Amino acid sequence: MSDILPFIVVFGTLAFVIAVSRRQSGNPGSRPRPWRGAALIAPPAASPPTLRLLPLPGDVGLVAARELRTRVRGRAFRIGTLLVLVTVAAAILIPALLGNKASTQRIGVAGQLSAPVRATVAADGTAAGDQVEFVAEPSGQAASADLRAGRIDLAVVDGRQVVTAKAIAASDTSATAQLARTVARTVGTGEALQAAGLTQAQAAAVAGARPLPLTSLAPGGPDTTSKNATFIGVLLLAFMLTQYNTWTLTGVLEEKSSRIVEVLLAAVSPGRLLAGKVLGIGLAAFVQAAVAVVAAVTLTKATHSDALAGVTPAAVASTLIWLVLGYAFYSWLYAAAGSTVDRQEQAQSLLLPLALPVLFGYGMATSAINSGNASVLFHVLAYLPPTAPFAMPVLVSLGAATAWQFALSAAISVGCTVGLARVSAAVYRASILQTGRRVPLRELVRQ
Amino acid sequence: MSRLELDGLTRAYGPVTALDHLSFSVTSGAVTGFLGPNGAGKTTAMRAIFGLTALSAGIVRWNGAAVTRADRRRFGYLPEERGLYPGMLVAEQLEYLGRLHGLAPAAAAAAAAGWLERLGVAGRAASKVESLSLGNQQRVQLASALVHNPDLLVLDEPLSGLDPAGIDAVGEVLAGQARAGKCVLFSSHQLDLVEDLCESVVIIDRGRVVASGAVDDLTTRGRPRLVVRVAGDRDGAWARGLAGVTVSENDGGALRLVLAPRSAAEGADPQSVLRAAMAAGPVTEFGVARRRLSEVFREAVSQRSARRQAVSSGAPVLRQGVSQ
Repeated sequence: MSDILPFIVVFGTLAFVIAVSRRQSGNPGSRPRPWRGAALIAPPAASPPTLRLLPLPGDVGLVAARELRTRVRGRAFRIGTLLVLVTVAAAILIPALLGNKASTQRIGVAGQLSAPVRATVAADGTAAGDQVEFVAEPSGQAASADLRAGRIDLAVVDGRQVVTAKAIAASDTSATAQLARTVARTVGTGEALQAAGLTQAQAAAVAGARPLPLTSLAPGGPDTTSKNATFIGVLLLAFMLTQYNTWTLTGVLEEKSSRIVEVLLAAVSPGRLLAGKVLGIGLAAFVQAAVAVVAAVTLTKATHSDALAGVTPAAVASTLIWLVLGYAFYSWLYAAAGSTVDRQEQAQSLLLPLALPVLFGYGMATSAINSGNASVLFHVLAYLPPTAPFAMPVLVSLGAATAWQFALSAAISVGCTVGLARVSAAVYRASILQTGRRVPLRELVRQ
Repeated sequence: MSRLELDGLTRAYGPVTALDHLSFSVTSGAVTGFLGPNGAGKTTAMRAIFGLTALSAGIVRWNGAAVTRADRRRFGYLPEERGLYPGMLVAEQLEYLGRLHGLAPAAAAAAAAGWLERLGVAGRAASKVESLSLGNQQRVQLASALVHNPDLLVLDEPLSGLDPAGIDAVGEVLAGQARAGKCVLFSSHQLDLVEDLCESVVIIDRGRVVASGAVDDLTTRGRPRLVVRVAGDRDGAWARGLAGVTVSENDGGALRLVLAPRSAAEGADPQSVLRAAMAAGPVTEFGVARRRLSEVFREAVSQRSARRQAVSSGAPVLRQGVSQ
């Protein structure tokens, strides 16, 4: 699963970039017409759409409602939602489809194969999650022909030879390879038992022996399925944090470069305007996250997939909590950055350095998921607000974080967000009306 | 009767002093023009009214008390740098701005529709702002300053980029607002363009008021002016060398003459000028002219710099009104 996800991500990102750039180049905007003529040949009035506003009080609510409405209506939101849905669907459907294809193993049998051995082989297959179907072969040659043609997965000839189409490497973990090894052992054991002179009943009793349950001293790490789910969670977190914070940046930039901010600030204080923007875009992000979670649960139920098998409600909740905390932290940073630039090109140069901590946190989280244990550095990262949104949910899924550690990290993040919000509002205030150039850091510090 | 008062506003950007103890007031019921050359500090002063400029000193008062955020919600502002959300629908945008200024949803929708109708852009209510012509964008921008029925209207260069019909339309709106008892302040760097639009003016230069008062007072005061045309003399050679007469302009033979006060050593009066003109040829045009606002400005600035020079050279300073 973790092998194909990067491809899904790369493909999705490419699709997004292409869609967005096509949108920008395809719509150059209509050119202004002479103004007196325009008034005369204006089309008949459509009834002006009424504003549907959130029931949020005050300026912050008004600003947030406008943001939310504009974003949810916009094409970027629809494409983003589609991408999130595709990622979720791929993560759930692809393993389910691959799993179904490998679920029946056909074993060709040439010559004799005793009933107890057959029963044991069938039981082994079921234990490994496969159905075993026996196909009677008239001869060893016929079995080889069927093997080459792919009609059967392996053949047992005369109860003493297990044949596969291709040689099986020691590291091969495919269903056929695992079954071939089991069948070889079982058939060999059955033959040895018969050679030892046991009766059929005795042989069956020995062959049917069940392995003892294993006891461990400490609980183990997560299994593969919950690993995948954690991985998808971290991936969606990184995707959403980057996308929505970029919206915050471009939203601030749009208001600055279109100069409407001067009209807005004449009526609303900078702190409230910024808070409304952050809140509105954050709500849009949460709508998208909710869509993703609902889609994941529905798809899992519909396909009887086990992709979410190891995922506890606590893990989902912790990911959602860190989506909110991470967004709140980064959005102020992005908003302040957006207020210092004047044009889209200048914003590009800011986006990479801003995305670095997200990428770093994401990278550290995926390697921790793969290795199944968390380093000391990773534990430290779980308490730093820029990386905590990635590190803490992973610690939760690894069972390596207690409730109070989670709460401590969340509290640190909230505290730093409040501090950062103040600094960002000050930077915003100092630079939002300075147009025509990029505001140098030195000047901001002085002010 | 409401009153906006700017008192001692000072703002320095590093070595540049944008506002230098700027003080003036605006009363309701009249359109006040806020004039001065580019870079005089008009935009900075207007931004200061809305708290958008950090002041080193000074205070803005509304009806006698320091202006509050609640007061500012009842102000309307057209910034010099025009701006609307390019992708937002015209009516929605106006409703949004109305609501930010405290209107209820229904009132905001009604006011937006009303102003779009009055400014002749009702047909574009459901269009995106970016699809409008520049002229129509200007109208929507003007509507955005008016949508919440403000008590004070502050318009920064509302006439820039407008054709004569557009200027008339804006002038009508401003006069209407003033008649309705609102305070109206608008800026322009084209001094002579606005003479007819405003009843009183404040003229500033380098962050200070250089002249202010009723337009009628300012233009009738000062040295008398004549406009004289002598047929066949396009160069105005006849007027050269006349004692106490300065040619300030020659518009294709129509000379604009500034006469030295009669009390001065080289005093001149209209009668002697007319005699000199008649001696030079047939006079086809002769009239007494008012001072233009640009002349008011130039004279005030030159008096000020003369005074400043006098101060720096240590000569005694004659105190006199700057608007004379």
